[in-house]
Amino acid sequence: MGTATLEAPAVDSTVVRRRRRKYGGLSAWLFALPALAVYLIFLVYPALSSLWFSFTDWDGLSPTYNVVGLENYLAMPKDPVVIQAVINNLIWTVVTIFFPVVIGLALAMLLNGKVRGKPVIRLIFYTPCVLPLVAIASIWGWLYNPQYGAINSFLRLIGLGSLAQPWLGQDSTALAAVMVPAVWLRVGFPMLLYLAALQGINTDMYEAATVDGATKSQQFWHITMPSLRPAHYIVIALSLIDSFKVFDLIYAMTYGGPGTATQVMGTWMYFNVFQYYQAGYGTAIAVVITIVAIIVSIPYVRSQVKEHAA
Amino acid sequence: MSTFAEGAELAPVSALPDAHIVSSDELSGKPKRKGGIGMTIIIALVALLWISPLVLLVITALRPLSDFVANGPLAWPQEWTLQNFADAWGVGNFATTYRNSAFLLILKVPLGVLISAMLAFALAKLRLRFGAVIMFAVFLGLTIPIYITIVPVFILLRNIGAVDSVPGLVGPYLAFGIPFEVLVLQSFFRQLPDELIEAAKMDGAGPWRIFFTLILPLSTPALVTVLILDAVATWNEFLFALILLSSDAHKTIPVGLLNFQGQFANNNTGLAAGILIAVVPILIAYIFLQRWIVGGLTAGATKG
Repeated sequence: MGTATLEAPAVDSTVVRRRRRKYGGLSAWLFALPALAVYLIFLVYPALSSLWFSFTDWDGLSPTYNVVGLENYLAMPKDPVVIQAVINNLIWTVVTIFFPVVIGLALAMLLNGKVRGKPVIRLIFYTPCVLPLVAIASIWGWLYNPQYGAINSFLRLIGLGSLAQPWLGQDSTALAAVMVPAVWLRVGFPMLLYLAALQGINTDMYEAATVDGATKSQQFWHITMPSLRPAHYIVIALSLIDSFKVFDLIYAMTYGGPGTATQVMGTWMYFNVFQYYQAGYGTAIAVVITIVAIIVSIPYVRSQVKEHAA
Repeated sequence: MSTFAEGAELAPVSALPDAHIVSSDELSGKPKRKGGIGMTIIIALVALLWISPLVLLVITALRPLSDFVANGPLAWPQEWTLQNFADAWGVGNFATTYRNSAFLLILKVPLGVLISAMLAFALAKLRLRFGAVIMFAVFLGLTIPIYITIVPVFILLRNIGAVDSVPGLVGPYLAFGIPFEVLVLQSFFRQLPDELIEAAKMDGAGPWRIFFTLILPLSTPALVTVLILDAVATWNEFLFALILLSSDAHKTIPVGLLNFQGQFANNNTGLAAGILIAVVPILIAYIFLQRWIVGGLTAGATKG
């Protein structure tokens, strides 16, 4: 255990400390037990249980059901709403990561410069993020209201009344209209992370680059962006994880509609289970997106375990 | 294996998840630089645009419906009133949903932070077998969407008669709060020097005494951050509440707000007042406690 590569005085005490510092197994398990028990009962067991239901034709109500193997999974590619939901999930993921990251980075760079009132500005951009998603849905549903909404009223006010339209009520604009509030509320998080990361960059590097004649854009691409790599990684990983969970905003703003224009996997799962009494099929949809979410997130989770176990 | 170069880890790489809890003062930049009027104007305009939906919401909530209908949503109000709040409070059943959400908060948040802190302590400072496996399994919980668990959770709670009851939400809420809380607390506990624990052991303190009288008091900043973020997530949670609570008497704020939104669809000023009633506690808490929220997020958080 003694990796004796460190300076001599450090080695002895470190090895002794390592060997003696920790308490034995039983009390460690007593500390771990309550949280692990809750986690197993209310998260791990239900998730695995859903996996089981996904192989059945259970309707969600009857006391009995049949095991149907992969039938639910094979039915998915033939379900046009699933196709639509997958496409919507992909669009959602790209748009609600790309725009918040770009806008958040731009704001962070502005805030990192000579700007007054930074605390207030930071407060403003992060505010939407602490509101309940249902409240955000209500606020934006109200702004989008065809007659009394502020958005159409504004368009009429500036003479663009012809552009006023039922934003949430037509296929062509509904998904975009739901993504706008998602972008609105997500900008604050990357902004805060990038701001913290930018303030950790040594300003000497910029001075040296300026002396060497590097332009602002060269400095951005060769100093700022590489220095922000850890921040990029965290922001994108967490945004990705979050994007698979999309449910609240769509449920509360459009209910998946008009028609099925804004269905995503999360809402389509909900409709199958609670509206159409196809619990087996609904859980299969949830299983698919959860597996995708886990696969995509494993590098992040592993990096976290590594950091935390080091 | 573990590098013993512990000094390196203490460097505040703020964007990394195991960074220390950064207070917002550290984030506000170099204090000596002033000026930059051009930049300030640009960013102030963007900020104004960003906050405009909320400003509009407040103004609308404070004007009579007749004024709103006559002059349109963007006109400056001719009259001001507080009547919308009284109307919305009654129709929206807010007395009940407030009580339920507050009850849930008090029941769930301290308990969740306590058991998460205990697990985090075991992972950070005790010899827990399979610690890395447990950590992997718990952190994986960050990625699990709630909707994969709703059917079995519903059955589970129905079997123990806890459907349509506010305390019934505590179990699932705890489970989905644990991954993030353990993530933040474990990385904080790790940074506490082992020498302190050694010294307490020499004095004959057992692990429980060390946990309650040494670790927890030393970790107040991390605990406060986690408490606040967990309270926000609990107050805002929607999906479990939507599925598990059916009667009006047991609904929480987000589910109650959704119902209210349906009923007040044609009363724009009342709707605005109702939305404000639902979000005012969280807004006030955020404004006063933002230092802790910002610190926790830059310590590598995710929003639930």
